[in-house]
Amino acid sequence: MIEKILFPTKFRELSFNSLAQLFSLKEAGLKEIVLCHVISRDDVGFVPFGGYLKEEENRLREEAMIRFEDWQKSLEERGIGSRVLIKVGEPVPQILHAAEDEKADLVVVGKKKKTVELSFAGSNTIEIVTRSKVPVLVSKYHVSYDVEGEHLEKINDHIFERPMLICDWSEPSMRALDTLKSFQSVIEEAIVFHDINVEEAHKKHAGTLDEIKKVSIEKLDLLCEELQQEGASCETHLGAGKISSEILRISRDRHATMIIMGTSGKGRLSEFIHGSVSHNIVRESELPTLLVT
Amino acid sequence: MHGDLGEILTLWSTIPFAGMLLSIALFPLFAPKFWHHHFGKTSAFWSLVAVVPFTLLYKGQAVHEFLHIVLADYVPFVILLSALYTVSGNILLRGTLVGTPVLNTGIIIIGTVLASWMGTTGAAMLLIRPFLRANSHRKNRTFMVVFFIFLVANIGGSLTPLGDPPLFLGFLRGVPFFWTFELLHQMVVAVVILLVIYFFMDLYFYRKEGIKTVSDSSEKERLRIDGLHNLIFLAGIVVAVLMSGVMHWGEISIIGVHRATADVVRDGVLILLAVLSMLTTRKEIREDNEFTWFPIQEVAILFIGIFLTMMPCLKILQAGEKGALAFLIEAVREPYHYFWITGILSSFLDNAPTYLTFLSSLLGKYHPGVEAREAVALLIKEYSIYLKAVSAGAVFFGANTYIGNAPNFMVRSIAEETGTPMPSFFGYMLKYSIPILVPVFIIVTAVFYL
Repeated sequence: MIEKILFPTKFRELSFNSLAQLFSLKEAGLKEIVLCHVISRDDVGFVPFGGYLKEEENRLREEAMIRFEDWQKSLEERGIGSRVLIKVGEPVPQILHAAEDEKADLVVVGKKKKTVELSFAGSNTIEIVTRSKVPVLVSKYHVSYDVEGEHLEKINDHIFERPMLICDWSEPSMRALDTLKSFQSVIEEAIVFHDINVEEAHKKHAGTLDEIKKVSIEKLDLLCEELQQEGASCETHLGAGKISSEILRISRDRHATMIIMGTSGKGRLSEFIHGSVSHNIVRESELPTLLVT
Repeated sequence: MHGDLGEILTLWSTIPFAGMLLSIALFPLFAPKFWHHHFGKTSAFWSLVAVVPFTLLYKGQAVHEFLHIVLADYVPFVILLSALYTVSGNILLRGTLVGTPVLNTGIIIIGTVLASWMGTTGAAMLLIRPFLRANSHRKNRTFMVVFFIFLVANIGGSLTPLGDPPLFLGFLRGVPFFWTFELLHQMVVAVVILLVIYFFMDLYFYRKEGIKTVSDSSEKERLRIDGLHNLIFLAGIVVAVLMSGVMHWGEISIIGVHRATADVVRDGVLILLAVLSMLTTRKEIREDNEFTWFPIQEVAILFIGIFLTMMPCLKILQAGEKGALAFLIEAVREPYHYFWITGILSSFLDNAPTYLTFLSSLLGKYHPGVEAREAVALLIKEYSIYLKAVSAGAVFFGANTYIGNAPNFMVRSIAEETGTPMPSFFGYMLKYSIPILVPVFIIVTAVFYL
């Protein structure tokens, strides 16, 4: 169950809208959101031949407090508890430490405003996603993107209504399923997806593909039944080909509101050598992406 | 072509250098926020004020001189500092230490010894956080950090060119690696006096604070060092620098500037060691060390300004009594003059350029017109007391103010960030350096220079 969320923010435009997307989790048992702001040490420390800008730190703290107080009122009105955490240091390690110290069930990071850049996630987001031991939701509130030459803009709201679970039967993807179940009370319909590697199947021997297809459909149906038994409606989809492209295609065709997937958390070296589907989806999909280690 | 530039340059040409040094001295004091955000622009401004008119007037000769100071002095200087900073930033001392007078004195002694081998910056960065953590239960911590600055961030770096930037600049100009051990006696006198004072101050406050035993209920973490393999890289840095002073593999020309092949190899090895240190050390160690590139970036940005603006001044001083600063060279005669003048200026200006300025004035005074390395060798042979005075003055007096040496401000920044109140610029001088350090320097003068 997602009872406690860590919400780090730099107070960029539309940050609150991103926070507001989490309010619906109250119905799924959300009790508290820890609002976190990290003041970069480089902004206040190591003044060349000077020292530390304590007054500047205090000013930045006070500004953050005032902004958070406003947000806390909104949370209080909805019956969600909140606490404020303001730290000084390097953002990524501070957020990762805070997530562990607070025993958060979910960390919410990412760009909250529209972007014309190619990637929907910056280097800090990717690093958090890679290193976090806690599930991470990469929130993308207002996005602009291109599909087949057409420029589109989108507001990602009601993000928990049609989550799309990417399943490869691995342990991380099963943990992603558990995370999905933890907020099933706010889901309208879940989409469960599996991708078949056709090229790999053909390499083995004739008939393998049909067998894999049959088994995959059965497994998807079982998963769906499991979800339906717990009260969520569900649809299944089988993809074939390059997995990242298939996830993007199906998520758009089926109007998914979020992508959920497991990630092995093997780290940078592994990602550099093998590439990472989950990181590709974080970067390329216009949908919020929830990664579970 | 002009003849010897140093003989024809006027005092006006030293204005950008003065402007650069005064900016470093005054902006952090009176406009720290502005300085924090605009120090790069300030450095660029003074650099342009020096480089543009100088190049227009002296054309190719000026370009050559600027390239020379950048390639032969600035680049090796930044590479060494970066390598030491990187390798020491990858070593983390973990565990629970409980700050008592004996333990604190021990940490400062260790830091003082390490400073000559891993640089004052490296030793200070390695130990300041454990030192502050160990004393987090103590009420009076300010004086501890001040003595840490005195000894670990400054005086401890007297013994090798790795210890303190001025000594490395001397090494680049031809001062042998182990010559700086000549400062051992002076260093020991200063260190022993300061440690005794420190110990009794700590003991006084420890008793006054009524600390008897630290609660056993608090969780104790075993003492250990992470990233210990970086000591190999640290040893590699020592060997690389030593090698460049011993080996003679001829010269190579880099865009018209002749550099010793051994120096170029040394710089390459230092970069390699820093890269290896980064690649072989877990990122978490650097994070727990609160490692950031920002301080070294600052040093690189500020020192390009210092080195470029310093060039005309050095040329004039090297011209000796034929240069526009002849009055200064004539006025400063005795070893104790050099000790105090270098020292006082090092207190308020950065000690690296100050050292180079007075080394140049010595060369101009005793060996004008002689090639720099040869002149340094002659100086050591015939007038080594003067070089000792300049070296000790630059290193020791760097502790007199926050702006005397780069690690001072880093230590201050970390102490303030972690909740240890530090005195203001003048408070530091009035409460600590004038009553404590200045008498120690008077004793050093009496024993070694009179």
